Amino acid sequence: MFVGAVFFPLLGACVSGFLGRWLGDRVAMWSTVFFMALAAICGLLAFWQVALSGQPQTVVLFTWMQVGELSFSWSLRYDTLAAVMVGMVTLISTLIHLYSVGYMSHDATPSRFFAYLSLFTFMMLMLVTADNLVQLFFGWEGVGLASYLLIGYWYEKDSANAAAMKAFIVNRVGDLFFMLGMALTFFTFGSLEFDAIFGAVQDHVNDVFLGIPSLELIGVLLFLGACGKSAQLGLHTWLPDAMEGPTPVSALIHAATMVTAGVFLICRMSPVMEFAPVALAIVTVVGASTALFAATIGCVQNDIKRIIAYSTCSQLGYMFFAAGVGLYQAAMFHLFTHAFFKALLFLGAGSVIHAMSDEQDIRKMGGIWKKIPVTYAVMWIGSLALAGIPFFAGYYSKDAILEGAVAAGTGVGMYAFVCGAVAAFLTAFYSWRLLILTFHGKPRADHHTMEHVHESPLVMLVPLLLLSVGAITTGFVFAPYFIGDAATAFWNGAIYNLPAKDMMEALHHAPHWVPTLAKTVAISGILLAILIYGFLPHIPGRVAAAAPGPYRFLLNKWYFDELYDRIFVQPARRLAVQLWQVGDARIIDGMPNGAAALAAGASRGTVRLQTGKVASYAFAMIIGLVVFVTLFLTGR
Amino acid sequence: MTQPLLAQYFPILVFLGIAGGIALAMVGGSILLARQKPDAEKLSAYECGFAPFDDTRRRFDVRFYLVAILFIIFDLEVAFLFPWAVTLGDIGWLGFFSMMGFLFVLTVGFIYEWRKGALDWE
Amino acid sequence: MNWTLALPELVLALSGLAILVAGVLPRRDMTFPCTMMVLGAFLLSGAFVLTQPDGMGFGGQYISDAFARFMKVLVLAGAALALLLALDWNRAEGLSRFEYPVLVLFATLGMMVMISANDLMSLYLGLELLSLPLYVMAAFHRDNARSSEAGLKYFVLGALSSGLMLYGMSLVYGFAGTTNFAQLAQVLGGTAPISAGVVVGIVFIITGLCFKVAAVPFHMWTPDVYEGAPTSVVAYFATATKVGAIAAIVRVLAGPFGGAVDQWQQVIVLASIASMILGAFAAIGQTNIKRLMAYSWISHTGFVLMGLAVGTEAGLRGVLIYTPIYLMMSLGAFSVLVAMRRNGHAVENIQDLAGLGRTDPAMALGMAIFMFAMAGIPPLSGFFAKLYVLLPAVEAGFWLMAVVAVLSSVVSAYYYLRVVKVMYFDASTGALDARPSGVSFVLAGTGLFTMFFFLMPAPLLAAARQAVAALIG
Repeated sequence: MFVGAVFFPLLGACVSGFLGRWLGDRVAMWSTVFFMALAAICGLLAFWQVALSGQPQTVVLFTWMQVGELSFSWSLRYDTLAAVMVGMVTLISTLIHLYSVGYMSHDATPSRFFAYLSLFTFMMLMLVTADNLVQLFFGWEGVGLASYLLIGYWYEKDSANAAAMKAFIVNRVGDLFFMLGMALTFFTFGSLEFDAIFGAVQDHVNDVFLGIPSLELIGVLLFLGACGKSAQLGLHTWLPDAMEGPTPVSALIHAATMVTAGVFLICRMSPVMEFAPVALAIVTVVGASTALFAATIGCVQNDIKRIIAYSTCSQLGYMFFAAGVGLYQAAMFHLFTHAFFKALLFLGAGSVIHAMSDEQDIRKMGGIWKKIPVTYAVMWIGSLALAGIPFFAGYYSKDAILEGAVAAGTGVGMYAFVCGAVAAFLTAFYSWRLLILTFHGKPRADHHTMEHVHESPLVMLVPLLLLSVGAITTGFVFAPYFIGDAATAFWNGAIYNLPAKDMMEALHHAPHWVPTLAKTVAISGILLAILIYGFLPHIPGRVAAAAPGPYRFLLNKWYFDELYDRIFVQPARRLAVQLWQVGDARIIDGMPNGAAALAAGASRGTVRLQTGKVASYAFAMIIGLVVFVTLFLTGR
Repeated sequence: MTQPLLAQYFPILVFLGIAGGIALAMVGGSILLARQKPDAEKLSAYECGFAPFDDTRRRFDVRFYLVAILFIIFDLEVAFLFPWAVTLGDIGWLGFFSMMGFLFVLTVGFIYEWRKGALDWE
Repeated sequence: MNWTLALPELVLALSGLAILVAGVLPRRDMTFPCTMMVLGAFLLSGAFVLTQPDGMGFGGQYISDAFARFMKVLVLAGAALALLLALDWNRAEGLSRFEYPVLVLFATLGMMVMISANDLMSLYLGLELLSLPLYVMAAFHRDNARSSEAGLKYFVLGALSSGLMLYGMSLVYGFAGTTNFAQLAQVLGGTAPISAGVVVGIVFIITGLCFKVAAVPFHMWTPDVYEGAPTSVVAYFATATKVGAIAAIVRVLAGPFGGAVDQWQQVIVLASIASMILGAFAAIGQTNIKRLMAYSWISHTGFVLMGLAVGTEAGLRGVLIYTPIYLMMSLGAFSVLVAMRRNGHAVENIQDLAGLGRTDPAMALGMAIFMFAMAGIPPLSGFFAKLYVLLPAVEAGFWLMAVVAVLSSVVSAYYYLRVVKVMYFDASTGALDARPSGVSFVLAGTGLFTMFFFLMPAPLLAAARQAVAALIG
């Protein structure tokens, strides 16, 4: 069961990838769905047994390699943290596989797509069940690879290729820090096994590396690694571009699972992070800033998927600052609920795009809610959950995070709270802006497109409906376990909190005005959006015209891409040109060319020794013998 | 030390002497008793049908060598059998079956060369 | 007496005799049945090897330990797969004679005796039993001048090296007073200084063994024999016999002469460095792919000797890991070479592979994997092979050797990658003939091993560790 949850997707990927050509697309598609379903059953059983029945375990597969003192084994670590992820990932992945059957039905090579998708799921499961940092890194790189393949899935599109490259390169930057963090961990602890690290944290609290406390440095490096994967401020630029991939990919990878790997990493390393207060403060500040920053951009974007992408960015910020203030439980809870409603939103957006003949610009939509009522309904549910309206899933987790930020009682906590509250307002605003522009008002699409607007097939609607059930229920069903009274038993030691600052306890004593405020800002955001876009449609244009500077600033995503282009890309290119013209053509090429000429000369020389005459061969042997004997006798 | 060692080799010396004596007696007897009518063919050294001094790049019949090689194998077998036969009483069944194994291997080889026609001149 | 200990060898020898008779008695062509019977005999013998208990037999001449079993399994596997490759090739070249599988069998038997040798006598016996069939096999295509030349060269040089080795053995016997490995180890391991006679004897023995593993400067026969001999024969030369030769040199140097490690170490270091350099540089100019493989092997020999020269447990383990990985890469590469045939004629220039990436993508992929692996590019198996000999060398402070190893790897990557480049980027000069099923089988098996070794190296590492423990006690 434990092994099955992880390896069924791999099996599916192999079947679809290697045998897809012989099996035919339909069989390949459904076989991956079948294997994913098996994995999901295993995953949910594992979740039940490990998390709800409190029986964590570690399944050792085999010893991978042993080099000197470095020894790794492949094993699956099933504690509550992993089980939550496994259950969530397998379930959502199954639904998205199912959805893709409908969504990709017109594609040329669906078996390739499904193979990638299943491969991704396997890698993600490998990541979350890792028992040591190396295995985690294997999964980490694996999901990066799968994401790269899937973003560039339509490889004949230039923009898709560029986006895939960008995702890969930006992630590489993060991975560099991750690797440094890993190296420092090994240097400090002498092991990369989680048990060994966590057991030895107490002994290394006072270790110093380059004048900085080791644990702080490890925390910061790992967080920077997480930033790359989870698209936090600075390394976020790849995520919106990644929307070039097929929509199910956006839903699975860039909303529900892969991008949350960074949050997972911080939570996994909680025993180390807890001893690195400065690193945690950095996590909090970056997370909170990202939450606010991404939300502001989300308000002015026009591409339906990009809006949701920035919203993902922003929600990830919430998770990070929750972890930063020490509320790993709440971070995981938000991760969990977010996976459902964000996947729902993406798939809903996919359904809209599907209906609108692949149109993604919300300015060219509108007035279609009667034609696609189911999609409309689920988008409402998803948005309500995202905005944190009571009794939807997002409400419980987001409230907990905001309360926790206040309850932390620190400066950075307050900063996080303020950012979070403003972001909550903006989140509600842009969600309803999206809803209204997409579904209401006069149709702005051309006549031809409007005639073709149709509800998606059943195979796409079923996952949507199931996810909306999740978006409604996961909040109040699981709140007691994740952050409520049953939390201690539920987590069962998978997450470590310093005894000195019991955030779970503090959470219950948070001021009462916090939830009220959260609800108020969310509802006012919704009302504002409805007011502006529903009844006064000329206002946004006027605002934009009145404040062209800020508007352009937001529309161009705070000029991050341009900034990077100016600071890194262009100088790098200039440097590259310089290096190419001077360094490469003259010096570097000169050296290998010289070396190559030398090698060729040496080669000719040695080949000339090979005369083909037996006598000279025998002579060479005798000479060699004489040399050896001389060496022997003189060397004694 | 050296004296008894040399003494051990004394029978060989005797053997050498006897061998030399017999060879001398045979060649000498032939010279003394037989009539001598030499011609060019008779005076040339006998060397398996070859002229003893000749150009090295010359055609020859490979069958001579085949027969010679096969002969040597069985010749050596016989040379191996003599000491075995003499000491059979001392080496017992193990020695007996060792030689039988050896002969068995040789027999397989013999079957092979027979079947391959290595023993047919034409 | 304890002759049941040598059951694998006995089984193989008896089946060899039986197959010889079975092949010669009927009037029709028995090549295929004989090949199958030989494969069966290998399988049977392999089964006996796996169940062989530890022990010593034949008056201390024969030893069975984990090392012997490890190497014998490799030898048998290599021989069986090489024979499988030869089946189709020989048929296509008109070399279908039932003697071929029998010769392979006896050569393999010789190697097994050599691997299990615990005495200079049995070592020599095994070596000769190996060499004689090899001479015949090299000249197997007897109507072909190149093949005859290869056979003759190999025979003359092989006889020279055997003679040197035998002379060395007699010197060692004369000065050390014994030929038994255990007693030799005792004599040489003592505190008393080792006499010059023994040392010279050891050098002569090393010379003979270096000839077998084709270490510089005793490598000269390799390129000519590889090029001249039939490809099917070279496939056997380059795989199974290399394993046997490595086994012999490891057994001798780590066993009886293990006590004299200071004496022979620098010689092996020298041979290793020279082999790596020569193998890397001489291969660059080659156009014939069989010659290329010959130099490639010489370079690999350098790596193997590097592990041996270090002499520590880790170094020997590296050698024992290198051997099976090399065996698999080499078998795979030769399966491609055997399949190089256009319009019914064997072709053997690198340029003949041009365009293979399009005409036979599966084979091109396989060849690319083997080339990358031989160049030592992670995560293919060849990388781990090199890693496991390089690390002990660095740890033991053999900096020069390690640096040369890395540099020669870089140089050799050039010619390995050239093969890949030719396959994928050069314009095709016409598709090769369809590959026989035996080739596909070997290609797939070795390819998968080479590709996915890194996923599960543990069983091999464990077996190698056990074998080393048996070797150095």
